[in-house]
Amino acid sequence: MYPFLIAVEKPSSRRSDDIQSVFSLSLDVIHSALVSYYRLTEEEARGAEEDLYVWFQRLARRGGAGQMPAKLLRISLLSAACQYGRSFQLWKLGGEEAGDRELAALLAREPDEVAGDLDRRFDEERS
Amino acid sequence: MSGRVLPFRHRPLSSEAGIEAARKVLGTPLGERIARTRVLHLEDPETLLALCGMLRERMGTAPASVLEEAEFLYRFIEAPKREIGLFDERDYFLGETALLAGTACRWLSRREEAWIWFDRSEAGFRHTMNAPGELSRLAYQRLAERLEERQLDLVIELLPSLIESFQKLGMPEDALKCRFLEGLAHIEKDEPTAAIAVFNQICGEAEERGFDRLLAESYINLIHAHGMLGEADAAIEASRRAIPILHGQDDRIGLAKVNWGLGILLRESGHLAQAIDSYRKAQEDFEILGMRADVAALNLVVADLLLEEGRSVEALREISEALPVISELNMAPEGMAALALVRESTRRQEINRQALRELHGYFQELQN
Repeated sequence: MYPFLIAVEKPSSRRSDDIQSVFSLSLDVIHSALVSYYRLTEEEARGAEEDLYVWFQRLARRGGAGQMPAKLLRISLLSAACQYGRSFQLWKLGGEEAGDRELAALLAREPDEVAGDLDRRFDEERS
Repeated sequence: MSGRVLPFRHRPLSSEAGIEAARKVLGTPLGERIARTRVLHLEDPETLLALCGMLRERMGTAPASVLEEAEFLYRFIEAPKREIGLFDERDYFLGETALLAGTACRWLSRREEAWIWFDRSEAGFRHTMNAPGELSRLAYQRLAERLEERQLDLVIELLPSLIESFQKLGMPEDALKCRFLEGLAHIEKDEPTAAIAVFNQICGEAEERGFDRLLAESYINLIHAHGMLGEADAAIEASRRAIPILHGQDDRIGLAKVNWGLGILLRESGHLAQAIDSYRKAQEDFEILGMRADVAALNLVVADLLLEEGRSVEALREISEALPVISELNMAPEGMAALALVRESTRRQEINRQALRELHGYFQELQN
């Protein structure tokens, strides 16, 4: 018997303007999550968005993300944004409890779960 | 309440500079890289991303070199613990370099090492944002390894779930690639007609969607399956279609496999001398690629043909070349028994033909 398997994985063929488009369309939701939900300042949120942009461009060129549809890429981006916002706010609190109950409740939630809510909001706004 | 504090502002290389840096890394001897980490931008995620892409491309031409490079990168990132990139990027690169190393081990028939690298890959990918996509790619490699270890029922059982995962993730090419395992399982079960049906379906879909790599690999498998049935015209037509695509992609493993498949066809058609020539061409390519196990498997196939032609001295030489390599591999009891018989008959200079056939039959299945 001489069966043979495939040696080489297909490289990512996604165009950079597709990535730009997914990021730009998500930016309003990300910004409002960082500022309104996670209570980052405007300046902190802008810094976060710059980092997220750099990271997202590379995410889209990874082995498993190169062919993924825009929606799944967006969910990954929103999830990263929520993790960023949560980590930053926890760092600012320095181990103290958040005085604000809404913020405390948000910080207690999993970032992926919050990202799911944001994605639904994104879809609703565009439907 | 606790949380991991993520690294913030970072100025990475541009993607173009990352590609340039990756080329410099690959041009620098392994032993000199750590001391030149900063100059080579080795900790920069753009460099690492470009390196992973280049190594993926090299898998078909230089798996031994991919293993060496991927292992170096994994060790470099892993310890001492380095801050790489943003968010989950360190975990991603650990998972990706381990996946590359594991895949290369699979191609080099280093099975135990392959499983260890796959476990390491999972440990990295589990912590990434796009874990389902990366873990599905890993699952494919694991299933491919199981196929090579002839765990056919398990492969058939797990395939539909993996195909569904790729479809949900919007990765149609990967979903189609999974069907290769189905076709190959048919070949392993000695069902070439069923395999031909699967590979023809893959060809149709790959052609329609422009998946050239899959198309070429499907043709290679059609050469083999038609060769097994002695269907010369269909096998030659499949090779005629595969070769230009493989040349275009510089896929040397693929080209070696074409020669192997043509060897099968020629043998089945009774053209023994030409079959040996074809196997030799494949063997030369595998030798260059560092695929010693495939070279050894072909030594046994050629030995069998030489015996058929009454050239027993040459056959003995072929077997003697193969035995040390085969001894290095982990074989199941039936493989070991056949190996022992061939070894003993070789020592007595009276080759036990049945044992030789059992050994190379078993050994090729082990390889594939």
